[in-house]
Amino acid sequence: MDFEWTPEEQAFRLRLKQFLAATLPDDWERFSQHGPGSPALTRYAETFCGKLADDKLLTPHWPKEIGGEGLDPWHQAILAEEMWIAGEPRGGQYMNVNWIGPTLIKYGSQWQQERYLPPIAEGRALWCQGFSEPGSGSDLASLRTRAVLEGDHYRVNGQKIWTSYAGLAQTCFLLCRTSDDRKRGISILLVPMDTPGITVRQIPSLIGEGDIHEVFFDDVLVPVEALFGNEGQAWEIIAYSLVNERLGIPRYGLARAALDRAVSVLKEEGRWNNDAVKIEAANVAALCEAARIASYAIVTKRAHGELVGPESSSARFATVMAERRVAEFVVEYLPEALADAHPYLKMHHQRGIVAGIAAGAAEIQLNIIATDVLKLPREPR
Amino acid sequence: MDLSLNDDQVAIVDALDALTRPYAAVSLHETGFALFDPELERELSKSGFLDVAAVPELGVVTAAIIVERVARLPQATNAALSAIVAPLLGLSAGTPLCIVEENAQARPLRFLCEGATVVVAGHSITSFTVTGDQVRAEPEALYGYPVSSLRSVPSDRQQHDVSLDEFYTRWRIALAAESAGLLAAALQSVCVYTTDRNQFGRPLASFQGMRHRLAEAQVRTNGVYWLAIKAAATLDPADAALAALHAQEAARAVVYDFHQFMGGMGMTLEHPLHLWTYRLKLLASELGGRGANALAAADAIWG
Ligand SMILES: Cc1cc2nc3c(=O)[nH]c(=O)nc-3n(C[C@H](O)[C@H](O)[C@H](O)COP(=O)(O)OP(=O)(O)OC[C@H]3O[C@@H](n4cnc5c(N)ncnc54)[C@H](O)[C@@H]3O)c2cc1C
Repeated sequence: MDFEWTPEEQAFRLRLKQFLAATLPDDWERFSQHGPGSPALTRYAETFCGKLADDKLLTPHWPKEIGGEGLDPWHQAILAEEMWIAGEPRGGQYMNVNWIGPTLIKYGSQWQQERYLPPIAEGRALWCQGFSEPGSGSDLASLRTRAVLEGDHYRVNGQKIWTSYAGLAQTCFLLCRTSDDRKRGISILLVPMDTPGITVRQIPSLIGEGDIHEVFFDDVLVPVEALFGNEGQAWEIIAYSLVNERLGIPRYGLARAALDRAVSVLKEEGRWNNDAVKIEAANVAALCEAARIASYAIVTKRAHGELVGPESSSARFATVMAERRVAEFVVEYLPEALADAHPYLKMHHQRGIVAGIAAGAAEIQLNIIATDVLKLPREPR
Repeated sequence: MDLSLNDDQVAIVDALDALTRPYAAVSLHETGFALFDPELERELSKSGFLDVAAVPELGVVTAAIIVERVARLPQATNAALSAIVAPLLGLSAGTPLCIVEENAQARPLRFLCEGATVVVAGHSITSFTVTGDQVRAEPEALYGYPVSSLRSVPSDRQQHDVSLDEFYTRWRIALAAESAGLLAAALQSVCVYTTDRNQFGRPLASFQGMRHRLAEAQVRTNGVYWLAIKAAATLDPADAALAALHAQEAARAVVYDFHQFMGGMGMTLEHPLHLWTYRLKLLASELGGRGANALAAADAIWG
């Protein structure tokens, strides 16, 4: 058991920090309040990701054969931490790097890989993830968007909701129903967002502009080459993707960085020397560190090539606990941060609220822990 | 970074499990509040499990792994202080050890008995060997350890050449590692009971009101485990204070739920749950409790 970073891992983190310091504009902290999905940040991300790619820092954990550096999951974790702590200057492109790319590599046809991997690796692609629907959120397998095969096309009809980045994305990783079999009737289509019949409407939100959307599919014709994997294989494929996504956002890192920032502001302003504040700050730090190490235990498994199981839900719930408590700390002791006094803390607050909802509600994580970690009997349905 | 057990640690854990298996299966009728087995204590120290902290390739982190596992047993042991704190003071492993803070001498001490070494933490770290007339037995105490209190502390004590920081770091790690094992055992016993017990035609543990609170207890227990193990690996004062704080906070959050979920059975002495939870109660009061550990953590992290 080893809690030290290797010199090589430390050097990698340092390289990222130096890259960020040299690349991000002076007013970045204020700018990053635009939110990862905003038009401003999406535009900036193209420049930023291009530079990352030039320095071989965009997809370093991808295999060498497809333009990566073949670095291990620890490097992926370090990369994700440093970017998220910095306010995610990759915008919505973090999703490509974390799970869309790896999923394409594992399940994509040669044509799909040739078409979609290069733009991702060069930092010019934006994807959206069309899973949730108005009637199907936590119960994703009940989704109803239909794809009917007609010759060499699928005809798609239905609606998605909460779709991040849909307004500017070029491609949608779309889940749709090709038969009535609950889980085995779901398939994936890779759909260009400029296909006729697709309408996108932005939903104003707490997270910042441009983040979540409704997407309508009205008689959208998609060629059969867009089928990803086989018909009915979606559930298997997204299980693979979600394991990547569950650890994709190391929220504990930003949560801890926001806590440290809040403490340094309190110190500067002479408000730190107060036992009540210190006690609460330490409780918050304990939650952040517990979430961090629970996540590292999972990265360890991945680094050993082991299957990651339900324990990722435990790490995620720990992260939700940490995320909320940091936000509460800031509100209680630095309320001016949610006005405009401390852009970094405001940015954390805007993004933190979704921790228990996006990519699977916190209660769903608890259900998974109860059934698959503690082995408790399931609830009757 | 690699949080998997190395080959030595896997072998040690296997050997430890083999040693403790018969003790884990002890009959729990008539155990009373505290369950203690001198034979287990002897076997643990004789076998060398409590000496690992001094072995450079194994270190305090392996000691913490051992302490966490031993704490899952129904029997109370002095393993945490013997394996993690005693070596720092140059005492041989297996030395029965009690720790008292100079400003809190009245508190009940686990394993205090004639001949035990009492460490006094004040402006410096000192110790003395207890005589019979300095001990007041507390046979009616509600804690899951054998406890006694001190009638007096002699002024003539042995001085130990260790810093307060080093000492408190070890003590906090010992507390957190033991708490992690106690939490894990208590949680496991409640999961077994609520899975077997049927009401309203289904297992109690299939009701979401219980499932979610048990799952949250799992998250907290996992957190205490990792913070304790990390602190044992780094020996960093901030890590140790966070681990002790998180352990005491987790105990506060789960102990009453655990008894609640067992209904009347959770009130009995025949079910072992209380052996773990009532130990957690005593540990929750050590080192000044959550507030003191939180302040120590805040000072260590942010100054
Ligand atoms: C910022 C943001 C970005 C998102 N981005 C995307 C995206 O890009 N693509 C996409 O497809 N989706 C996206 N989502 C959707 C997200 O995955 C869903 O919101 C989530 O799965 C929950 O579904 P729902 O909103 O329909 O809530 P519901 O399923 O209606 O649940 C509401 C609440 O009920 C509780 N609950 C639900 N089921 C249970 C249960 N079994 N037991 C106990 N409690 C339960 C939970 O508290 C839950 O939060 C995003 C969401 C947010 C907030």
